[in-house]
Amino acid sequence: MVTAYLTNRILQSLLAGVALAMPAIPLSAQSFRDSVELEPVVVTASHSPKALKDAPVVTRLITLHDIKITDATNIQDMLTQEIPGLEFGFAMSQETSLNMSGFGGNAVLFLVDGERMAGETMDNVDYNRMNLDNVGRIEIVKGASSALYGSNAVGGVINIISRENLEPWTANVNTRYNFFGHEWRNGASFSFNTKKWNSQTSFQHTKIDPVDLPKPYSSEEIAIELLKKAQGLPYDESVLNDDSNLSRLYGQKSYNVKERLTWRATDNLTLIGRGGYFFRTSERDTYDYHFNGYSAGLKGRYAWDFARYLELSYAYDQYDKANFQPDGTRTHDHDYSNRQQVAHALYHHSFGKNSLILGADYMHDYLSTYQFADNTSHAQDNIDGYAQFDWNITERLNIVGSVRYDYFSASAQKAFTERLAVVYKFPWMTFRANYASGFRAPTLKEMYMHFDMGNMGYMLRGNPDLKPEKSHNFNIAIERTNRIRNSGFLDGRYNFTIMGYCNIFDKRITTIDGGTYEGMESALYWNEDGITVWGMDFSMGHIWDCGFSLKVNYSWMKETGKVYYSDFYQPRSHSMTWRVGYDHHFSRHYALDAALSGRYQGKPQSGRKDVDQGYTIWKLMLQHHVWHGLTVITAIDNLFNYKPKSYYYCSPLTTGTSFSVGLSVDLDKM
Amino acid sequence: MKIKSLMTMALAMMAFVVSMSSCGSDDDEPVVAVADQVVGSYTGTEVLTVMGEADESTETFEFTKGSDVSVDVNLPKYGEGMMTVPALPVKGIVLTKSGNTITGKLDKYEGTVKTADGTEKAYTVSDVTVIFSDKTVVVKFTQKYGNMPFAFEGQFTGTRK
Repeated sequence: MVTAYLTNRILQSLLAGVALAMPAIPLSAQSFRDSVELEPVVVTASHSPKALKDAPVVTRLITLHDIKITDATNIQDMLTQEIPGLEFGFAMSQETSLNMSGFGGNAVLFLVDGERMAGETMDNVDYNRMNLDNVGRIEIVKGASSALYGSNAVGGVINIISRENLEPWTANVNTRYNFFGHEWRNGASFSFNTKKWNSQTSFQHTKIDPVDLPKPYSSEEIAIELLKKAQGLPYDESVLNDDSNLSRLYGQKSYNVKERLTWRATDNLTLIGRGGYFFRTSERDTYDYHFNGYSAGLKGRYAWDFARYLELSYAYDQYDKANFQPDGTRTHDHDYSNRQQVAHALYHHSFGKNSLILGADYMHDYLSTYQFADNTSHAQDNIDGYAQFDWNITERLNIVGSVRYDYFSASAQKAFTERLAVVYKFPWMTFRANYASGFRAPTLKEMYMHFDMGNMGYMLRGNPDLKPEKSHNFNIAIERTNRIRNSGFLDGRYNFTIMGYCNIFDKRITTIDGGTYEGMESALYWNEDGITVWGMDFSMGHIWDCGFSLKVNYSWMKETGKVYYSDFYQPRSHSMTWRVGYDHHFSRHYALDAALSGRYQGKPQSGRKDVDQGYTIWKLMLQHHVWHGLTVITAIDNLFNYKPKSYYYCSPLTTGTSFSVGLSVDLDKM
Repeated sequence: MKIKSLMTMALAMMAFVVSMSSCGSDDDEPVVAVADQVVGSYTGTEVLTVMGEADESTETFEFTKGSDVSVDVNLPKYGEGMMTVPALPVKGIVLTKSGNTITGKLDKYEGTVKTADGTEKAYTVSDVTVIFSDKTVVVKFTQKYGNMPFAFEGQFTGTRK
């Protein structure tokens, strides 16, 4: 035992010595390790920077290392691999839908650096706009957060935080090829940092070819069974029943360019300007969809001292959609434009260990769409004010209370939301209890839609009398983080969190049978009775000093009440993600960062038997750091070749094992 | 002897010619092209499945001759009112015969069709398999019409009138 211990210590010392002697081949896992040791700071749970361990509400943090090792292209890829209880699916027209722990996509608020995005695809923003090339971390707060973020923060907030490099300059070019859909992803980024200026520029291009999803049976096999049936011979009925919702994934291309410029004008004043342009085409059989996104913003922050600062900002975001024929002619029958202008004011004042935040926002929301009568447009204004007090009563006890008032001009609706969070730190664990209310104001589309679905004689009708959706979220959590020393192989740092929650969700906006309208059948937007979602989230991580790491996240949820099951997603009671990692310097010129990850989705809660009855998909990632600044990335996705029998809206979009290879060059490190 | 031999040879030749003639009378029956064996109207049940939802109706498929070894077919009109998908011609289904069964295959056919209001719509019919056996026909096909973002999976079983 003692010998084994000594051997282990000597081995560790040798490895440490070797590591010190190594050239500076960076391992992204090292930044992960650093972030754990240095206790990362998060902002989403309290609208101001706070150490993760002190956050008043459980915050799931996706680090830069997580982003790099998963090799995700956009937020959809990333969340799919990391967050259990979250599932993306397809709707008609292959627009993406989302379900997170029983909440639909429009109940989850996506933010980029705290700012909303305009536009929608199926039930939320265009996830392709949120590429990860310049992202530093992602913070996820499950449950309601409307007391800080207003409408849509009913089921959770996902905040994507941009990276801010502090080196004098950095430059990176990268490319990756995936055999699935012959997908190419190419990116470049550049940053510089001086005493006064900091600039971050990024560009990304993606291209994926159409993918024909395999059918369970060929047309000939089906015809043969049909003939047997017609002739009265024994036949296989299952061959004749095709439940597939999807047969072909459309190809697409995208371009995404972003710039963020920070000017530290004085010790007190910082100005941040940003701009971005996004373009995507979805290439259909008979026409193409074109999507354009434009964003710009200016933020000023004046800090009198460490205790007081004021932030004023203006943000503009526009998202347009249009259809084009193959010859390049715009059809103008699917024109859509959503423009949002937001002005924020936030004042922060610390009183010793306590702090007060006062904020107010004004948002102008404009929507012009072919789904309105006569292609007209509608607009509405949203004004809100909020306050939060962060009260550190003792070293162990912290209470955070928030209140917010929102007013929406189009519906003349008001919403008053609040949150109370209590954190108590025992010597051996942290206890959290939280109540928060949430709301979602009816959108312009839900209020004014007047749309004959695809000229098929079926009307979708808006309802100007809709009330806001409401939610009440209660959760309690325990968390423990600790370091193990002098215990041989277990030496390292671990943490685990268990959270139980209850979400009471009422006045959900959905569609009901609208009877006959203008001679057509119709559906009408309506407030429906609510549901209650019960759930439990468990997450744990262990980072061994010897280079191994393990992360496991498990989620259980159960919906009760007037539950509706959409064809587009199938909430699952049990789901899990995991990742086993290993990083090591093997020589002066070679270091490896490896990860074996997986995700499990259990049976649909609906009891439907005709959709995927649970599946597991594994992925192996290898990042080879072969020279200064040069990294070769290889991945095998769907390692064990899972193939859905039929492709439903909620099926994993895989045709079996696929491979990808990429190259990333940090020019500043060469 | 020589004359006898010649007579024998002449008889043998006559017999050969007669026998060949009798064989020839069979071959002279008109050859029916494989397409001609299957053209006609077939009435039966069509099942159209859209994104997993099936709809069944009684329809007539009209097969016409394209060439000796190919047929064309009109996929019948579907739906009513503004949801109508007009009849869609599909041309060039290549036939092969094996025993009593004639199988037709076509990978893809692209065409345009005018709707009731005169608008021209593009459509694609793919993965077509047709099997004729006696008076029965079965058809499997995939059709995509206009800007509809989804495909119809079609099955048809019919008998010739």
